[in-house]
Amino acid sequence: MRNWIQVFSVIDFISVGILLTAVAINALKRLESCVRVYALNSWLLSSLIAIVAFMVGETHLYIAAIITLLSKGILIPMFLRHILRRMKVIHDVEPYISNTLSLIISGILVAVVYASLREGIFVTGFSKNVLQISLAVILIGLFIMITRRKAITQVIGLLFMENGLFLAGFSLTFGMPILIELGILFDMLMGVIILGIFAIQIKRVFISSDLDKLTTLKG
Amino acid sequence: MIEILLIPVITAIICYILPNTRFIGYISALGAVILAGFSIPTIVSSISAPIEMMNGMLYMDALSGYIMALVIFLGFASALYSIGYLEHELKAGLTDITGMRRYCSLLHLFIFTMLLVTMSNNLALMWIAIEATTIVSAVLIGFGFRKRALAIEAAWKYIILCTVGITFALLGTFITYYASTAVLGTEGTLNWTVLKGIAGKLNSATMKLAFIFILVGYGTKAGLAPVHNWLPDAHSEAPSPISALLSGILLNTAFYGIMRFISIVEPSTGNTFTGNLLIIFGLISIGISSIFMLVQDNYKRLLAYSSIEHMGIISLGTGIGGPLGIYGALLHVLNHALSKPLMFFASGRIQAGYGSTKIENVTGVLSSMPLLGTLTFIGVLSLAGAPPFNIFLSEFTILKAGVDKGLWTVVGLFLFFVVIVFYGVLSVFGKMLFGKNIPTSHPHGFPSSKPLRTDFSTLCSNSIMIVMASLIIVLGFTIPGFIDSTIRACINILGVK
Repeated sequence: MRNWIQVFSVIDFISVGILLTAVAINALKRLESCVRVYALNSWLLSSLIAIVAFMVGETHLYIAAIITLLSKGILIPMFLRHILRRMKVIHDVEPYISNTLSLIISGILVAVVYASLREGIFVTGFSKNVLQISLAVILIGLFIMITRRKAITQVIGLLFMENGLFLAGFSLTFGMPILIELGILFDMLMGVIILGIFAIQIKRVFISSDLDKLTTLKG
Repeated sequence: MIEILLIPVITAIICYILPNTRFIGYISALGAVILAGFSIPTIVSSISAPIEMMNGMLYMDALSGYIMALVIFLGFASALYSIGYLEHELKAGLTDITGMRRYCSLLHLFIFTMLLVTMSNNLALMWIAIEATTIVSAVLIGFGFRKRALAIEAAWKYIILCTVGITFALLGTFITYYASTAVLGTEGTLNWTVLKGIAGKLNSATMKLAFIFILVGYGTKAGLAPVHNWLPDAHSEAPSPISALLSGILLNTAFYGIMRFISIVEPSTGNTFTGNLLIIFGLISIGISSIFMLVQDNYKRLLAYSSIEHMGIISLGTGIGGPLGIYGALLHVLNHALSKPLMFFASGRIQAGYGSTKIENVTGVLSSMPLLGTLTFIGVLSLAGAPPFNIFLSEFTILKAGVDKGLWTVVGLFLFFVVIVFYGVLSVFGKMLFGKNIPTSHPHGFPSSKPLRTDFSTLCSNSIMIVMASLIIVLGFTIPGFIDSTIRACINILGVK
């Protein structure tokens, strides 16, 4: 089984899957599918952790994989879907720029990450692509946040950033102590819940979930 | 040491489940007093010798003790001031009983998260605590969220910008862990005390990368320009006691994180790298905020920009470095933590009296509210950096550190911006304090010149403001021995030579 993982470079496949799901968000038109793609991304992340746990045989990595699956793969997507139903916005994402352009820019971001980390001060144990991919996912998440109009898409961009960050952290550290991992996930979960509540409030007060309306405070 | 963390949580729970909310403000203030009583012995002993707990997860030394003392003092001041503030809000119909419960318990949770920042030795735990401060305070800013649209806008921007920023800080923390694995072998560490021991052996290129991420991440939270955009919104829309806490101490706890990192980054990279970055960020912050202060029409926003300026000065002092620079920066932390909350408390009362945060709607505070006007005047002179007050002293120390190092361009720019700030702050508040007391039409329907009733809650907030104003004056003339020795101990801990 271990050989099998190495021969077919399963880890590389999964991390490329994580990158592709992040890129795919640029092309999606419906908020519901964004949430679904986020869930897929989280499942891939958790399966990556599980496979590495199997390879190095560490119990605390299995626990980390299960926690990731439960929180990011199940709880947060369920909560986001609940918020979307409450807000009754299942239709368009309404980006500021066209989908084609944003796909091109995401591609450029990935290229930039690979070009700048080519020399590589990092030597990661299990795959040499994971750190690059994780940084690319972080940048794509940031890019989604600044080019989308809806409050929920900002949250989804933030969540993608955090998945990328987890991947980066995982490739750099081989998993934090479980207490720290739990603390980070708890913070994230609380953050998403609070953001969801605020999103509903924005919808109620501004009669729109567009962030264009939030322009009173400036200067 | 654990009891310091438990008391705010217990107070928060009690405030939340209290059946009768008539005395909720007093109970929350009492919780802050108990917290102060329990923490003083620990803080005093931590200054002389570091304390470690829970396998080195929690740790306290002089620097933690110094910041923690400020958190506890300002937490107490805010809780005391909140009594009158909540009564007024309730009377004006801006909040309800659930809102008051939520406010008081969140206030104590906020204090808890900040205490956790100062106590954590594990850098990832510190990150968790700093992120938790964002979440709790964002809810506090949106405290009146059913009534005010602007508060939601501010809270949304605040939580999004700070969470994104702080994500980068976590990446920096991971990179630090990675750098430590190269030195320690298989298992890396994030314990600050261990990292401090091996700091000289860490790979300097990796640590440079980590520090850049950390500076961007925690710098966002500390309100350093150009990543400061959340700050004016959040500070101007938050309830006044919360603005005081945000500005007086939350920014400092984030900067405390940067200071901890500097001391583990500097031994391997040399102090010019970190120093130059901090000086550049500091000067940009002072410059941008000084210009924005000239064009403000809202006095709470003006105070928020002044916070950016003062965080810039602290960053500048840390960047110039050397014992004198750090001394100035740490002294400035204390001075700013006294002057700015005083100003936010005063501005909350002015807002209550005049019903507006626009500068043009407020004139003649000194004649309509003599005591409040005098306290505001002291705060303004201190904030502007006028000579006999505390902030002048710390700014002068930082200036002297710069001159000693021969950084003439930095010193020149600093002086230039500070002069602009001096004019900006004094001209605006001069107009508000002096000038004729024109009765303005009030949105809540009572005249602006109506004297505030001197009931017990007003007495509480007046007394805490008087205490702060007197501390400002005293610290302008002399630095008491125990503060001096604490700051010297902090400089020792940071390993500055």
